[in-house]
Amino acid sequence: MLNPKAKIRLSILVGAILFSAISIFLIFKTLEDNIIYFYSPSEIKQINDIDTNKSIRVGGMVKDGSIQTKKDEIKFIVTDFKNEIIVTFSGTVPALFAEGKGVVAEGKLQDKEFFLAKRILAKHDENYMPPEINKNLEQNAK
Amino acid sequence: MIIDILNLNGHGVFVWPSFIFPLLVCYILFLRTKKTLSKLEKENIKEIKILSQQKFEHIKKQKISLLNSKT
Amino acid sequence: MFKYLNPSYIFTITGKILNVLKFIVTPIIIIGVIFSVFVSPIDYIQGDAVRIMYIHVPSAWISLICFAAISFLAILNFLFKIKSATLFYKSLAPIGLTFCFIAIFTGALWGQPTWGTWWAWDARLTSMLILSFFYIIFICGYKLTSNSERSAKICSFISVLGLINLIIIKYSVSWWPTLHQPSSISLFRESTVHLSMLIPLIIMLFALLLYSALIFLMKYRIETIRVKKKSLKD
Repeated sequence: MLNPKAKIRLSILVGAILFSAISIFLIFKTLEDNIIYFYSPSEIKQINDIDTNKSIRVGGMVKDGSIQTKKDEIKFIVTDFKNEIIVTFSGTVPALFAEGKGVVAEGKLQDKEFFLAKRILAKHDENYMPPEINKNLEQNAK
Repeated sequence: MIIDILNLNGHGVFVWPSFIFPLLVCYILFLRTKKTLSKLEKENIKEIKILSQQKFEHIKKQKISLLNSKT
Repeated sequence: MFKYLNPSYIFTITGKILNVLKFIVTPIIIIGVIFSVFVSPIDYIQGDAVRIMYIHVPSAWISLICFAAISFLAILNFLFKIKSATLFYKSLAPIGLTFCFIAIFTGALWGQPTWGTWWAWDARLTSMLILSFFYIIFICGYKLTSNSERSAKICSFISVLGLINLIIIKYSVSWWPTLHQPSSISLFRESTVHLSMLIPLIIMLFALLLYSALIFLMKYRIETIRVKKKSLKD
Protein backbone atom coordinates (compact mmCIF):
# COMPACT_ATOMS: atom_id res chain seq x y z
CA MET A 1 0.00 0.00 0.00
CA LEU A 2 2.75 2.42 0.96
CA ASN A 3 5.42 3.24 -1.54
CA PRO A 4 8.98 2.53 -0.36
CA LYS A 5 9.80 6.20 0.26
CA ALA A 6 6.74 6.66 2.45
CA LYS A 7 7.72 3.51 4.33
CA ILE A 8 11.14 4.99 5.09
CA ARG A 9 9.51 8.21 6.26
CA LEU A 10 7.09 6.27 8.45
CA SER A 11 9.91 4.42 10.14
CA ILE A 12 11.79 7.69 10.68
CA LEU A 13 8.65 9.13 12.27
CA VAL A 14 8.09 6.14 14.54
CA GLY A 15 11.74 6.35 15.56
CA ALA A 16 11.41 10.06 16.30
CA ILE A 17 8.28 9.45 18.39
CA LEU A 18 9.96 6.69 20.42
CA PHE A 19 13.15 8.69 20.86
CA SER A 20 11.38 11.85 22.03
CA ALA A 21 8.94 9.97 24.26
CA ILE A 22 11.78 8.13 26.01
CA SER A 23 13.94 11.23 26.37
CA ILE A 24 11.04 13.29 27.73
CA PHE A 25 10.21 10.49 30.16
CA LEU A 26 13.83 10.43 31.39
CA ILE A 27 13.93 14.23 31.72
CA PHE A 28 10.75 14.08 33.79
CA LYS A 29 12.17 11.32 35.97
CA THR A 30 15.21 13.42 36.84
CA LEU A 31 13.22 16.61 37.31
CA GLU A 32 10.47 15.00 39.34
CA ASP A 33 11.18 17.15 42.40
CA ASN A 34 10.62 20.29 40.35
CA ILE A 35 7.44 19.10 38.69
CA ILE A 36 5.74 18.26 41.96
CA TYR A 37 4.22 21.56 42.96
CA PHE A 38 3.61 20.71 46.61
CA TYR A 39 4.14 17.92 49.11
CA SER A 40 1.39 16.38 51.21
CA PRO A 41 1.83 16.16 55.00
CA SER A 42 2.38 12.39 54.63
CA GLU A 43 5.26 12.98 52.24
CA ILE A 44 6.78 15.48 54.70
CA LYS A 45 6.60 12.80 57.40
CA GLN A 46 8.72 10.51 55.28
CA ILE A 47 11.54 13.03 54.77
CA ASN A 48 14.54 11.91 56.78
CA ASP A 49 16.78 14.97 56.81
CA ILE A 50 14.86 18.20 57.11
CA ASP A 51 16.44 21.23 55.50
CA THR A 52 15.11 24.25 57.38
CA ASN A 53 16.58 26.69 54.85
CA LYS A 54 15.07 25.17 51.75
CA SER A 55 11.85 26.76 50.55
CA ILE A 56 9.17 24.18 49.80
CA ARG A 57 5.40 23.96 49.40
CA VAL A 58 2.97 21.97 51.49
CA GLY A 59 -0.53 21.30 50.27
CA GLY A 60 -3.69 19.69 51.52
CA MET A 61 -6.96 20.54 53.18
CA VAL A 62 -7.38 23.09 55.95
CA LYS A 63 -8.64 21.01 58.87
CA ASP A 64 -12.13 21.94 60.06
CA GLY A 65 -12.03 24.16 63.13
CA SER A 66 -8.27 24.51 63.11
CA ILE A 67 -7.87 28.16 62.05
CA GLN A 68 -6.71 30.38 64.92
CA THR A 69 -6.04 34.07 64.39
CA LYS A 70 -3.94 36.10 66.82
CA LYS A 71 -3.30 39.73 65.85
CA ASP A 72 -1.81 39.41 62.38
CA GLU A 73 -0.67 35.83 62.74
CA ILE A 74 -2.77 32.95 61.49
CA LYS A 75 -2.29 29.35 62.54
CA PHE A 76 -3.99 26.35 60.99
CA ILE A 77 -3.57 22.64 60.35
CA VAL A 78 -3.05 21.22 56.88
CA THR A 79 -4.21 17.64 56.56
CA ASP A 80 -4.36 14.96 53.89
CA PHE A 81 -6.62 12.87 56.19
CA LYS A 82 -3.67 10.65 57.16
CA ASN A 83 -1.12 13.06 58.54
CA GLU A 84 -1.19 16.67 59.64
CA ILE A 85 1.15 19.62 59.81
CA ILE A 86 0.76 22.90 61.67
CA VAL A 87 1.24 26.01 59.54
CA THR A 88 1.81 29.53 60.84
CA PHE A 89 1.59 32.55 58.62
CA SER A 90 1.44 36.32 58.98
CA GLY A 91 -0.06 38.32 56.18
CA THR A 92 -3.15 38.41 54.05
CA VAL A 93 -4.72 35.18 52.86
CA PRO A 94 -6.62 34.76 49.56
CA ALA A 95 -10.38 35.21 49.66
CA LEU A 96 -10.97 31.53 49.00
CA PHE A 97 -8.91 30.41 51.99
CA ALA A 98 -11.31 28.64 54.35
CA GLU A 99 -11.71 25.60 56.58
CA GLY A 100 -12.37 22.39 54.70
CA LYS A 101 -10.93 23.84 51.47
CA GLY A 102 -7.69 23.16 49.67
CA VAL A 103 -4.58 25.18 50.43
CA VAL A 104 -0.96 25.37 49.33
CA ALA A 105 1.53 27.00 51.72
CA GLU A 106 4.90 28.23 50.51
CA GLY A 107 7.68 28.54 53.07
CA LYS A 108 10.12 26.62 55.22
CA LEU A 109 9.84 23.63 57.50
CA GLN A 110 10.71 24.22 61.15
CA ASP A 111 10.52 20.52 61.89
CA LYS A 112 8.21 17.71 60.87
CA GLU A 113 5.27 19.22 62.71
CA PHE A 114 5.69 22.94 62.08
CA PHE A 115 5.75 24.90 58.88
CA LEU A 116 6.44 28.62 58.64
CA ALA A 117 4.65 29.94 55.57
CA LYS A 118 5.67 32.97 53.56
CA ARG A 119 2.77 32.82 51.18
CA ILE A 120 -0.61 31.11 51.17
CA LEU A 121 -2.37 30.05 47.98
CA ALA A 122 -5.93 28.78 47.93
CA LYS A 123 -6.69 25.68 45.90
CA HIS A 124 -10.21 25.04 44.71
CA ASP A 125 -11.68 21.84 43.35
CA GLU A 126 -13.36 20.99 40.08
CA ASN A 127 -16.91 21.43 41.38
CA TYR A 128 -18.81 24.48 40.21
CA MET A 129 -22.36 25.20 41.32
CA PRO A 130 -24.64 28.02 42.42
CA PRO A 131 -24.81 28.71 46.20
CA GLU A 132 -28.43 27.48 46.49
CA ILE A 133 -27.56 24.08 45.06
CA ASN A 134 -24.68 23.75 47.51
CA LYS A 135 -27.03 24.63 50.38
CA ASN A 136 -29.47 21.94 49.27
CA LEU A 137 -26.66 19.42 49.03
CA GLU A 138 -25.47 20.27 52.53
CA GLN A 139 -28.99 19.97 53.92
CA ASN A 140 -29.46 16.62 52.25
CA ALA A 141 -26.16 15.43 53.66
CA LYS A 142 -27.42 16.25 57.16
CA MET B 1 -27.04 49.18 39.32
CA ILE B 2 -24.53 49.87 36.58
CA ILE B 3 -21.82 50.11 39.21
CA ASP B 4 -22.92 46.71 40.57
CA ILE B 5 -22.54 45.17 37.14
CA LEU B 6 -19.14 46.77 36.62
CA ASN B 7 -17.99 45.80 40.10
CA LEU B 8 -19.34 42.21 40.24
CA ASN B 9 -18.71 42.00 44.00
CA GLY B 10 -15.14 43.16 43.60
CA HIS B 11 -14.36 40.65 40.86
CA GLY B 12 -15.17 43.03 38.02
CA VAL B 13 -11.51 44.09 37.80
CA PHE B 14 -10.69 40.52 36.81
CA VAL B 15 -13.83 39.46 34.96
CA TRP B 16 -14.21 42.40 32.60
CA PRO B 17 -10.63 42.50 31.27
CA SER B 18 -10.75 38.72 30.81
CA PHE B 19 -13.64 39.20 28.39
CA ILE B 20 -12.70 42.54 26.82
CA PHE B 21 -9.04 41.83 25.95
CA PRO B 22 -9.55 38.40 24.36
CA LEU B 23 -12.52 39.66 22.32
CA LEU B 24 -10.46 42.67 21.25
CA VAL B 25 -7.60 40.38 20.21
CA CYS B 26 -10.10 38.22 18.29
CA TYR B 27 -11.46 41.32 16.54
CA ILE B 28 -7.97 42.54 15.61
CA LEU B 29 -7.09 39.10 14.22
CA PHE B 30 -10.32 39.18 12.20
CA LEU B 31 -9.61 42.67 10.80
CA ARG B 32 -6.02 41.81 9.87
CA THR B 33 -7.06 38.60 8.15
CA LYS B 34 -9.84 40.43 6.30
CA LYS B 35 -7.43 43.12 5.13
CA THR B 36 -4.92 40.61 3.76
CA LEU B 37 -7.68 38.58 2.14
CA SER B 38 -9.33 41.50 0.34
CA LYS B 39 -5.92 42.77 -0.81
CA LEU B 40 -4.99 39.37 -2.20
CA GLU B 41 -8.41 38.89 -3.80
CA LYS B 42 -8.14 42.24 -5.58
CA GLU B 43 -4.65 41.42 -6.84
CA ASN B 44 -5.87 38.01 -7.90
CA ILE B 45 -8.71 39.46 -9.98
CA LYS B 46 -6.34 41.99 -11.55
CA GLU B 47 -3.86 39.29 -12.50
CA ILE B 48 -6.57 37.12 -14.00
CA LYS B 49 -7.75 40.12 -16.04
CA ILE B 50 -4.25 40.85 -17.27
CA LEU B 51 -3.72 37.20 -18.08
CA SER B 52 -6.99 36.88 -19.95
CA GLN B 53 -6.24 40.09 -21.84
CA GLN B 54 -2.85 38.73 -22.82
CA LYS B 55 -4.53 35.54 -23.95
CA PHE B 56 -7.13 37.54 -25.88
CA GLU B 57 -4.50 39.61 -27.63
CA HIS B 58 -2.52 36.50 -28.35
CA ILE B 59 -5.53 34.86 -30.00
CA LYS B 60 -6.29 38.08 -31.86
CA LYS B 61 -2.78 38.18 -33.24
CA GLN B 62 -3.04 34.57 -34.27
CA LYS B 63 -6.31 35.23 -36.03
CA ILE B 64 -4.91 38.31 -37.78
CA SER B 65 -1.88 36.40 -38.90
CA LEU B 66 -4.15 33.62 -40.09
CA LEU B 67 -6.23 36.14 -42.03
CA ASN B 68 -3.08 37.73 -43.42
CA SER B 69 -1.73 34.41 -44.51
CA LYS B 70 -5.01 33.62 -46.29
CA THR B 71 -4.98 36.83 -48.29
CA MET C 1 -18.89 13.44 -7.11
CA PHE C 2 -15.63 14.90 -8.39
CA LYS C 3 -17.29 18.28 -8.44
CA TYR C 4 -16.96 18.42 -4.62
CA LEU C 5 -13.23 17.79 -4.69
CA ASN C 6 -12.51 20.46 -7.24
CA PRO C 7 -10.47 23.28 -5.59
CA SER C 8 -12.39 26.02 -7.41
CA TYR C 9 -15.67 24.48 -6.23
CA ILE C 10 -14.37 24.40 -2.65
CA PHE C 11 -13.27 28.00 -3.14
CA THR C 12 -16.76 29.22 -4.10
CA ILE C 13 -18.45 27.15 -1.37
CA THR C 14 -16.12 28.50 1.34
CA GLY C 15 -16.90 31.99 0.08
CA LYS C 16 -20.60 31.38 0.61
CA ILE C 17 -20.09 29.87 4.08
CA LEU C 18 -17.87 32.83 4.98
CA ASN C 19 -20.63 35.30 4.18
CA VAL C 20 -23.07 33.45 6.43
CA LEU C 21 -20.53 33.08 9.26
CA LYS C 22 -19.63 36.78 9.19
CA PHE C 23 -23.20 37.63 10.14
CA ILE C 24 -23.83 35.03 12.82
CA VAL C 25 -20.55 34.99 14.75
CA THR C 26 -20.90 38.40 16.42
CA PRO C 27 -24.49 37.87 17.68
CA ILE C 28 -23.61 34.44 19.08
CA ILE C 29 -20.53 35.81 20.87
CA ILE C 30 -22.71 38.60 22.32
CA ILE C 31 -25.31 36.06 23.49
CA GLY C 32 -22.50 34.00 25.01
CA VAL C 33 -21.08 36.99 26.88
CA ILE C 34 -24.54 38.00 28.14
CA PHE C 35 -25.14 34.47 29.39
CA SER C 36 -21.76 34.22 31.06
CA VAL C 37 -21.70 37.65 32.71
CA PHE C 38 -25.37 38.36 33.48
CA VAL C 39 -27.56 35.27 33.25
CA SER C 40 -25.45 32.53 34.83
CA PRO C 41 -25.39 32.22 38.63
CA ILE C 42 -22.38 32.90 40.84
CA ASP C 43 -20.31 30.02 42.18
CA TYR C 44 -20.72 28.90 45.79
CA ILE C 45 -17.04 29.49 46.61
CA GLN C 46 -15.63 31.67 43.89
CA GLY C 47 -18.53 34.08 43.48
CA ASP C 48 -18.37 36.16 40.34
CA ALA C 49 -14.79 35.12 39.52
CA VAL C 50 -16.18 31.88 38.08
CA ARG C 51 -17.38 33.85 35.03
CA ILE C 52 -13.82 33.90 33.73
CA MET C 53 -14.17 30.15 33.23
CA TYR C 54 -16.60 30.71 30.34
CA ILE C 55 -13.86 32.24 28.22
CA HIS C 56 -10.84 30.51 29.74
CA VAL C 57 -11.97 26.92 29.30
CA PRO C 58 -13.23 27.13 25.66
CA SER C 59 -10.04 28.99 24.63
CA ALA C 60 -7.87 26.34 26.23
CA TRP C 61 -9.85 23.57 24.54
CA ILE C 62 -9.65 25.21 21.13
CA SER C 63 -5.90 25.71 21.45
CA LEU C 64 -5.49 22.03 22.34
CA ILE C 65 -7.75 20.79 19.52
CA CYS C 66 -6.01 23.10 17.07
CA PHE C 67 -2.60 21.74 17.97
CA ALA C 68 -3.82 18.16 17.67
CA ALA C 69 -5.19 18.99 14.21
CA ILE C 70 -2.09 20.78 12.92
CA SER C 71 0.20 18.01 14.19
CA PHE C 72 -1.93 15.38 12.51
CA LEU C 73 -1.88 17.35 9.23
CA ALA C 74 1.86 18.05 9.44
CA ILE C 75 2.60 14.37 10.00
CA LEU C 76 0.24 13.44 7.16
CA ASN C 77 2.07 15.85 4.87
CA PHE C 78 5.43 14.46 5.97
CA LEU C 79 4.42 10.85 5.33
CA PHE C 80 2.38 11.09 2.14
CA LYS C 81 3.37 14.48 0.69
CA ILE C 82 -0.20 15.75 0.72
CA LYS C 83 0.32 19.37 -0.28
CA SER C 84 -3.22 20.50 0.60
CA ALA C 85 -2.55 19.54 4.24
CA THR C 86 -0.03 22.40 4.44
CA LEU C 87 -2.78 24.86 3.49
CA PHE C 88 -4.90 23.55 6.36
CA TYR C 89 -2.24 23.71 9.04
CA LYS C 90 -1.01 27.11 7.93
CA SER C 91 -4.56 28.39 8.32
CA LEU C 92 -5.12 26.71 11.70
CA ALA C 93 -1.88 27.47 13.54
CA PRO C 94 -2.41 31.25 14.08
CA ILE C 95 -5.88 30.57 15.54
CA GLY C 96 -4.49 28.02 17.99
CA LEU C 97 -1.70 30.37 19.07
CA THR C 98 -4.17 33.20 19.66
CA PHE C 99 -6.40 31.01 21.83
CA CYS C 100 -3.39 29.63 23.69
CA PHE C 101 -2.40 33.18 24.65
CA ILE C 102 -6.02 33.97 25.57
CA ALA C 103 -6.18 30.89 27.81
CA ILE C 104 -2.95 31.86 29.61
CA PHE C 105 -4.02 35.51 29.98
CA THR C 106 -7.49 34.74 31.31
CA GLY C 107 -5.99 32.03 33.49
CA ALA C 108 -3.78 34.65 35.15
CA LEU C 109 -6.80 36.90 35.69
CA TRP C 110 -8.71 33.96 37.18
CA GLY C 111 -5.82 32.84 39.36
CA GLN C 112 -5.36 36.13 41.16
CA PRO C 113 -8.82 36.34 42.82
CA THR C 114 -9.12 32.60 43.48
CA TRP C 115 -5.69 31.11 44.19
CA GLY C 116 -4.08 34.39 45.21
CA THR C 117 -1.43 34.40 42.51
CA TRP C 118 -1.22 35.32 38.82
CA TRP C 119 1.09 32.49 37.91
CA ALA C 120 2.41 29.31 39.44
CA TRP C 121 5.03 26.97 38.01
CA ASP C 122 2.83 23.92 38.37
CA ALA C 123 2.64 21.17 35.77
CA ARG C 124 -0.53 22.35 34.01
CA LEU C 125 0.41 26.00 33.67
CA THR C 126 3.98 25.29 32.63
CA SER C 127 2.97 22.73 30.01
CA MET C 128 0.43 25.21 28.62
CA LEU C 129 3.18 27.83 28.32
CA ILE C 130 5.32 25.26 26.52
CA LEU C 131 2.41 24.68 24.12
CA SER C 132 2.51 28.36 23.16
CA PHE C 133 6.25 28.00 22.46
CA PHE C 134 5.51 24.98 20.29
CA TYR C 135 2.97 27.01 18.34
CA ILE C 136 5.53 29.78 17.80
CA ILE C 137 8.24 27.33 16.67
CA PHE C 138 5.73 25.59 14.40
CA ILE C 139 4.71 28.87 12.74
CA CYS C 140 8.38 29.87 12.35
CA GLY C 141 8.97 26.38 10.93
CA TYR C 142 6.88 27.10 7.84
CA LYS C 143 7.24 30.89 7.67
CA LEU C 144 11.02 31.05 7.74
CA THR C 145 11.82 28.12 5.49
CA SER C 146 11.22 28.53 1.77
CA ASN C 147 12.07 24.91 1.02
CA SER C 148 8.79 22.98 1.33
CA GLU C 149 10.55 19.65 1.91
CA ARG C 150 12.55 21.02 4.80
CA SER C 151 9.56 22.83 6.34
CA ALA C 152 7.57 19.57 6.21
CA LYS C 153 10.35 17.85 8.16
CA ILE C 154 10.65 20.63 10.75
CA CYS C 155 6.89 20.94 11.24
CA SER C 156 6.35 17.20 11.63
CA PHE C 157 9.16 16.91 14.18
CA ILE C 158 7.74 19.80 16.20
CA SER C 159 4.36 18.08 15.93
CA VAL C 160 5.70 14.88 17.46
CA LEU C 161 7.17 16.75 20.44
CA GLY C 162 4.04 18.90 20.68
CA LEU C 163 1.76 15.88 20.72
CA ILE C 164 3.67 14.44 23.68
CA ASN C 165 3.30 17.83 25.39
CA LEU C 166 -0.42 17.73 24.59
CA ILE C 167 -0.77 14.43 26.45
CA ILE C 168 1.17 15.94 29.35
CA ILE C 169 -1.19 18.93 29.47
CA LYS C 170 -4.20 16.66 29.44
CA TYR C 171 -3.03 14.43 32.29
CA SER C 172 -0.85 16.90 34.22
CA VAL C 173 -3.62 17.51 36.76
CA SER C 174 -4.06 13.82 37.50
CA TRP C 175 -0.42 12.70 37.39
CA TRP C 176 1.08 15.33 39.68
CA PRO C 177 -0.16 17.49 42.53
CA THR C 178 -0.87 20.87 40.95
CA LEU C 179 -2.37 24.16 42.01
CA HIS C 180 -4.66 23.93 39.00
CA GLN C 181 -7.88 22.07 39.70
CA PRO C 182 -8.57 18.74 37.95
CA SER C 183 -10.74 18.76 34.84
CA SER C 184 -14.47 19.11 35.40
CA ILE C 185 -15.76 17.87 32.09
CA SER C 186 -14.98 14.50 30.62
CA LEU C 187 -16.61 12.31 28.02
CA PHE C 188 -16.71 9.33 30.34
CA ARG C 189 -18.35 10.70 33.46
CA GLU C 190 -20.85 13.26 34.58
CA SER C 191 -19.52 16.81 34.59
CA THR C 192 -18.89 18.47 37.93
CA VAL C 193 -20.15 21.78 36.57
CA HIS C 194 -23.77 22.54 37.40
CA LEU C 195 -26.13 22.68 34.41
CA SER C 196 -26.84 26.41 34.86
CA MET C 197 -23.10 27.01 34.40
CA LEU C 198 -22.67 24.42 31.69
CA ILE C 199 -25.07 26.30 29.37
CA PRO C 200 -23.00 29.52 29.07
CA LEU C 201 -19.87 27.39 28.78
CA ILE C 202 -21.31 25.50 25.82
CA ILE C 203 -22.61 28.69 24.17
CA MET C 204 -19.18 30.32 24.49
CA LEU C 205 -17.47 27.19 23.17
CA PHE C 206 -19.84 27.16 20.20
CA ALA C 207 -19.33 30.89 19.58
CA LEU C 208 -15.54 30.66 19.70
CA LEU C 209 -15.59 27.56 17.48
CA LEU C 210 -17.64 29.47 14.91
CA TYR C 211 -15.20 32.38 15.16
CA SER C 212 -12.32 29.94 14.62
CA ALA C 213 -14.11 28.52 11.59
CA LEU C 214 -14.51 32.04 10.20
CA ILE C 215 -10.83 32.88 10.61
CA PHE C 216 -9.86 29.45 9.33
CA LEU C 217 -11.85 29.89 6.11
CA MET C 218 -10.45 33.38 5.53
CA LYS C 219 -6.89 32.16 6.14
CA TYR C 220 -7.55 29.16 3.91
CA ARG C 221 -8.57 31.48 1.07
CA ILE C 222 -5.48 33.59 1.63
CA GLU C 223 -3.22 30.55 1.48
CA THR C 224 -4.98 29.19 -1.63
CA ILE C 225 -4.57 32.50 -3.47
CA ARG C 226 -0.90 32.60 -2.43
CA VAL C 227 -0.32 29.11 -3.80
CA LYS C 228 -2.10 30.03 -7.05
CA LYS C 229 0.01 33.15 -7.40
CA LYS C 230 3.19 31.18 -6.85
CA SER C 231 2.21 28.64 -9.49
CA LEU C 232 1.26 31.44 -11.91
CA LYS C 233 4.65 33.06 -11.52
CA ASP C 234 6.60 29.86 -12.02
